[in-house]
Amino acid sequence: MARAGTALSGRDKEPLFADYKSLVGTYDEYFQDQGVPHPWTKIVVRHLEALGREEFRGRFRLAHANFLEGGITFSVYSDAKGGERVFPFDPIPRVIDHSEWAYIDQGLKQRVEALNLFLGDIYSSQKILKDKVIPSRIVLGSPDYRREMVGIRPRNGNYIYVAGIDLVRDRLGTYRVLEDNLRVPSGVSYVLENRIVMKKVFPRLFERLRVSPVEDYPNRLRQAVTSSMPGQKANMVVLTPGVFNSAYFEHSFLARRMGCDLVEGRDLIVDRNRVYSRTTRGLEPVDAIYRRIDDDFLDPTVFRKDSQLGVPGLIQAYAKGNVILANGIGNGVADDKAVYPFVPDIIRYYLGEDPILEQVPTFICDRKADLSHTIENIGSLVVKAVNEAGGYGMLVGPKATQRERKEFAKKVVAHPRNYIAQPLVELSACPTWTPRGPAPRRVDLRPFVLRGNDTWVLSGGLTRVALVRGSYVVNSSQGGGSKDTWVLERNSR
Amino acid sequence: MISRVAENAFWLTRYLDRVESMARLLYVNTNFVLDVQLEDTPRWHPLVVVAGEEKRFMGSVPKKAKDDGETVQRFLTWEPSNPSSIAASLGAARENARTIRETISLEMWETLNGLWLWFNSKEAERRYQQERFEFYREVRNQCVLFQGFALDTMLQSEAYNFMRLGSSLERAGQTARILDVKYHAMGPTGNHIEMPSEVAQWQAILRSCAAIEPYFKVAHGELSGREVAEFLLFDRHFPRSVRRSLDRAWNFLQLIRPRGKTPIGKSSAEALRGLRAELNALTMEEIMAHGLHDKLTWFVDSVIEVCDAVQLDYFQSPLQIKRPRSAQRTKRAEAL
Repeated sequence: MARAGTALSGRDKEPLFADYKSLVGTYDEYFQDQGVPHPWTKIVVRHLEALGREEFRGRFRLAHANFLEGGITFSVYSDAKGGERVFPFDPIPRVIDHSEWAYIDQGLKQRVEALNLFLGDIYSSQKILKDKVIPSRIVLGSPDYRREMVGIRPRNGNYIYVAGIDLVRDRLGTYRVLEDNLRVPSGVSYVLENRIVMKKVFPRLFERLRVSPVEDYPNRLRQAVTSSMPGQKANMVVLTPGVFNSAYFEHSFLARRMGCDLVEGRDLIVDRNRVYSRTTRGLEPVDAIYRRIDDDFLDPTVFRKDSQLGVPGLIQAYAKGNVILANGIGNGVADDKAVYPFVPDIIRYYLGEDPILEQVPTFICDRKADLSHTIENIGSLVVKAVNEAGGYGMLVGPKATQRERKEFAKKVVAHPRNYIAQPLVELSACPTWTPRGPAPRRVDLRPFVLRGNDTWVLSGGLTRVALVRGSYVVNSSQGGGSKDTWVLERNSR
Repeated sequence: MISRVAENAFWLTRYLDRVESMARLLYVNTNFVLDVQLEDTPRWHPLVVVAGEEKRFMGSVPKKAKDDGETVQRFLTWEPSNPSSIAASLGAARENARTIRETISLEMWETLNGLWLWFNSKEAERRYQQERFEFYREVRNQCVLFQGFALDTMLQSEAYNFMRLGSSLERAGQTARILDVKYHAMGPTGNHIEMPSEVAQWQAILRSCAAIEPYFKVAHGELSGREVAEFLLFDRHFPRSVRRSLDRAWNFLQLIRPRGKTPIGKSSAEALRGLRAELNALTMEEIMAHGLHDKLTWFVDSVIEVCDAVQLDYFQSPLQIKRPRSAQRTKRAEAL
């Protein structure tokens, strides 16, 4: 198309990455050196460059329109109008080499296995506490420790059916676990939808590269949740808090892809310790519940009395072994940020192995020495409330003002058990589309792990990206977006 | 299926049918105003009355704007506080669809969500200002596209049956309401030869039901209130006639009702059977003698009663435990 005379025309012919400059002191997901791609990104860079800027811009618009029309949105809690937004999507994929992925895969399986054993132990004989591997007050004092669950063994001893383990890469590119999500980890629907949109937007790339598929996830999830009922036609449902929940799209998506009913608490009823769904033809027995409601709201007769979302009597039915709950109840204690520093010890204790994946060095403010270190060095640390998620309740020391630091320090001193501190990890950066072309933006990675009769890790996972220049916060509620994550198979070059 | 989901399916198509009916009504009325220049006939206010929103409307606009076309159109198209406006019905339809997104097909969702996004865009506002016909036509077309996709892409099982039941009952009520526009515009209909303005009004009513050509095929060029009423009430082949809509509702209700000896679905079946019997027993002589308006009012109320019975039978599910799946399957196999 002749567009001579417009300011953009000259630049539109330039290679896509001509102006791209990696961040200093930060691992770059695409380039090992200025203009020199990693061996495994070389082919992706070449194909993207071949498209040119203008073409790329057009495809970016196409991707956005796809998300809007598909209603692939999330709701924002703090938005007074209860509005829906499209989860911003970036069309430049994050690329992971197969050999690197193989080691992440092993590390995740090991970690989740150990955490499941940990849950089984602390809700029964509590050997790990007696052996003083982790202080009792950290575990039993956790607000997410559910005394009510002691002595109740879930089906097959399985607490963790689904885990989302957040990984970041430090300045050398080493993957480190940032946090575990063992309750109701969300985001997997975006992984699947991102892939569908990417295939529409860049069909030729997928013809040339061998990207590990992700479509199998819902099927695998269903198998994992019903793994203790082999050969039976288990009636499995997805339990959602309802259409106003920020992740409703995902609940609906998973129900659709698993061929399950999507139910709310009021659609279920417990009678003589069995769970039924209210259908147009009477009550139908329910065997397994993939629940996307927090423990607190599951059963008003046991947990929060004011819960309108839950099902009275559900916990009793679960305790009797009459229904599978995925995830199990009380998992929150294992992903408590105050327990996190002990996970390497937990892995060694239960598996007798060294942890495969590194994690981020952590100061536990509950310890006197750690607390004073944290307060003295608050300007260089990230301080996190242990029971907050979504990037809330957090101070990024190096980015905060003197006053913000002071005020946060006060809160930490008042309730040390509620805080941990970590050095700021210079999250790796990945080229990300901006109106001026690709620019480095920081990313993390949430792989999804499923545990049924065996453990399976979804290839890649959700790459979240801090779309704001210089930002470290990747959460969707705070200006984050997502990218498709490509694990390249062995014969991709 | 889950009762709440069935309820959403039932309401989704009812709301969408309201969107379509309203868009069609406004579209036709815009034409009608251009066609007939009769100063003393109120053309816009009756639309508010048959929508059942007269009180709200009179409370929100100055008295002299009562029959002002722009005011009425804005009220029936955009007013969010008016539950009968296109904006409100479309929003409700879309929210129902979003809630049961796992039940409807991708194509249905994309169509409805696309319509909703467009309706709330600047482009739609511009179209409304500059090409009013085109605006309403677009709304109607997308509603019909949704129905087409429903027919062609969705599992034709229980949820589908509830959707069709909902739209059939809604359609029966809408046709009766539209037929009543004439009464609110020009007063009672007699058996006499009518004024040109009345003829024009009847034509507009036929158009509002997408019935003008089908009507002339059946009526051989005659046009009178009595004939139009008879056609829209009783025609056996016209898909939007009251009788045909109720027949369709009955068929879907039969598909929904569980087989065998069960009390489930009894009261809705009886309500609909009763209404159909009463309607079929009526003659045009009786209706004209009694007054068309009164009969239409009775009918609209009766359809609401049927909907209430469906609500009680299926959405507020009886607490009775369903037989195990295997037993049910055997039963069905026997029935075949």
